Amino acid sequence: MDQQFNFLLVDDSTLDLFINEKMLKVNQMASSIRKFLDPRECLQFIQSENTEESFIILLDLQMPIMNGFGFVEAYQDLELNIKKKYHIYMLSSTVDTGDIYKAKSMEGIIDILSKPLDPKMLKKLLVEAKFV
Amino acid sequence: MNINLPINVLYVDDEEHNLYSFKANFRKHYNIYTTTDTTEALDIVDKKNISIVLADQRMPIMTGVEFLEIIRNKHPEKIRILITGHTDIGAAIDAINRGEVFRFIDKPWDADYVKNAITTGFEIFRTREDLKKKNLDLQKANEELDHFIYSASHDLRAPLMSILGIVNLSEEEKEVEVLKQYFTLIQQSVLRLDSFVINIIDYYRNTRNTSEFKEPIDFKKMTAEVLATMRYLPNFDKIILNSYIKQDEIFLSDPIKVRIILNNLLSNAIKFQDHSKADFNINIQIEVLNKCCTLIIEDNGIGIAKNQLKNIFKMFYRGGLVNGSGVGLYIVEEAVQKLNGEVSVESIEKVGTKFTISLPGKN
Repeated sequence: MDQQFNFLLVDDSTLDLFINEKMLKVNQMASSIRKFLDPRECLQFIQSENTEESFIILLDLQMPIMNGFGFVEAYQDLELNIKKKYHIYMLSSTVDTGDIYKAKSMEGIIDILSKPLDPKMLKKLLVEAKFV
Repeated sequence: MNINLPINVLYVDDEEHNLYSFKANFRKHYNIYTTTDTTEALDIVDKKNISIVLADQRMPIMTGVEFLEIIRNKHPEKIRILITGHTDIGAAIDAINRGEVFRFIDKPWDADYVKNAITTGFEIFRTREDLKKKNLDLQKANEELDHFIYSASHDLRAPLMSILGIVNLSEEEKEVEVLKQYFTLIQQSVLRLDSFVINIIDYYRNTRNTSEFKEPIDFKKMTAEVLATMRYLPNFDKIILNSYIKQDEIFLSDPIKVRIILNNLLSNAIKFQDHSKADFNINIQIEVLNKCCTLIIEDNGIGIAKNQLKNIFKMFYRGGLVNGSGVGLYIVEEAVQKLNGEVSVESIEKVGTKFTISLPGKN
């Protein structure tokens, strides 16, 4: 069986959270999935989580209150031993070159994937990245 | 020329009697400020809305040209006029090159010539100010357009990508019941996209339609029609609707704009219900009195946080986690402004929101 990961899904759309969860499950990529409609709640989870497990975060870009970039900025202020457990991929429907460039160059974001989530693409990226 | 607008004129001369006679001659035509002191003169230009500055050339501390040069650097938009009793070519050259003066007036001055100089100068001043304002408006419109394209592309594309996601999922799915569920999800996404498109059409109609279109508005009928279009919204059945509509006179207004206002405020009241509460209440109160309409829409929904209240009328601003385009209240405010009305909002988080709109009827 393929390698499985812990996922944190952050998106303001319940529909997209549902789709992404289902996609990961169908493709047997997830050992656990947690969904967050509010990015601030995900930040709280990250700070309170104290196992040694590592997580893949699939982060939406355009969200009210706090957008994906705002999330990463707040995330960057966290301690290094917390951050080493998390790997952030942005997942967005944006076609704005400015957004895509910013996501690709921003520290803390590994890459940006376009919606809808392509499990084969994600699998390939995760295998290449060799997260344990 | 707009005769209602006072023309503020400043005249600087070290000889007081010149100032007196200038005032005596022109105070009926313009708002005149005078001083013998160039420092005070700069202060007046800073504080008063001066459009024309006249200066005498021969003054003890600085010459008229030097003074007008300072004005030119600090306030290039002011119209500058130099007055001199001793025409020498050097001063004239300086006045043009350093002070970039608009006119050069010989002493003793001829009242009609001065009047003509001030009036023509003011015309130029006003034209430049208008141009500046138009440029600012244009800049604002351009920024809005950029913002619009950025946000619209997201709001149009996001539901489409959701639909594509569900379609991708359904390719692997064999269970009929699950597939049926997928269709419901697609339907929701389509409705969301459609409500965005309708919002954009409203926005377009609202901005482009500047004509003085008016017809009698029957608020009871219009409210019923608007509510009828909302009966498919989620949770509509659970809402307790209280409506009090009092209209004993004819109210003339633009029905498209009034409908946009009612439509957006009511759909917001339905959309932003507080699901932790036992009852969902919406109160509609409309009263037409003395050709004026007061329209109140109140709900006991999730409310708006204090720090977000100032943003709710901004285009594409989305306050909460509930899906919306962020266009609705922007259009409401625009429509109210175009009808010369006023909109105010009171809201307490978790308690509810109350929008009050007053609209003057057209004649």
